[in-house]
Amino acid sequence: MASLISCPHCGARPKEEFTIKGAVLSRPAADAGHQAWTDYVYLRDNPRGTHREYWHHTSGCRRWLVVTRDTVSHEVGFCQDAAAAKLAEVRP
Amino acid sequence: MSDFRITLRPALGSAPRPASRGLSITAMPEGHVVQVLGRPHTPDLFGVLERATGAAHRSVRAAGPGQWFIVGDAPLSRDEFAALSTALQPHATAVDQSHGRVRIRVEGTIVERMLAKGTAVDLDPGAFPVGTSAMTLLGHVSVHLTRIEIAAFEVMVLRGFAESLWEDLVRMSVEFA
Repeated sequence: MASLISCPHCGARPKEEFTIKGAVLSRPAADAGHQAWTDYVYLRDNPRGTHREYWHHTSGCRRWLVVTRDTVSHEVGFCQDAAAAKLAEVRP
Repeated sequence: MSDFRITLRPALGSAPRPASRGLSITAMPEGHVVQVLGRPHTPDLFGVLERATGAAHRSVRAAGPGQWFIVGDAPLSRDEFAALSTALQPHATAVDQSHGRVRIRVEGTIVERMLAKGTAVDLDPGAFPVGTSAMTLLGHVSVHLTRIEIAAFEVMVLRGFAESLWEDLVRMSVEFA
């Protein structure tokens, strides 16, 4: 597991300060079918390689981030504020 | 009407003082701590904060994007808080946290070495100059760190964790006695 996350607001911080929510998925429309919502809520890929995830900087700036990390090498790539990325999926 | 009278007592009143020579740990006066939450997408609020705090003995501490703490050693009266709150409107909201957060002053020439046992923040004076603040974990306790002087830090913590953190700080400084 990646141990240092470079928060865009706070700089490099250990993973213990963060809470991981999971994969970044686009939220289906409210009236999308049962299958689309089941996929969104329950079904996850387990990718090998680059993975985009929501991380919450719980013990720091308390912002939601989008962290790109490699599930094979544990390398952390790009970290971005979720609001800056204009990702509407994150709800408080 | 309740039979109880609420008595205010300092959170760290009975805490034992550390025996370290190189470091001093002191409870700061429980004056006031006001959390300021900026509206989203508001441009830089620093000017507004400067004007709202005025010349009074208060300091503004950054606490993440759009969040600040205004702290001071003197208690804040109801009117003073109302004036502060009004001065911040409509750009930001003030929440009085004076009862809920406690400040501890940690001082000494090797203070960074002691704090580095608990946090991963780079506390080198070059990377963390006087006036810089950071929300971080100190051990397992969430704290707000500020360098207030070249060899002194203010550690702000939720009141319920204050005594536990104090014991942690004392234990962390034993090595330097």
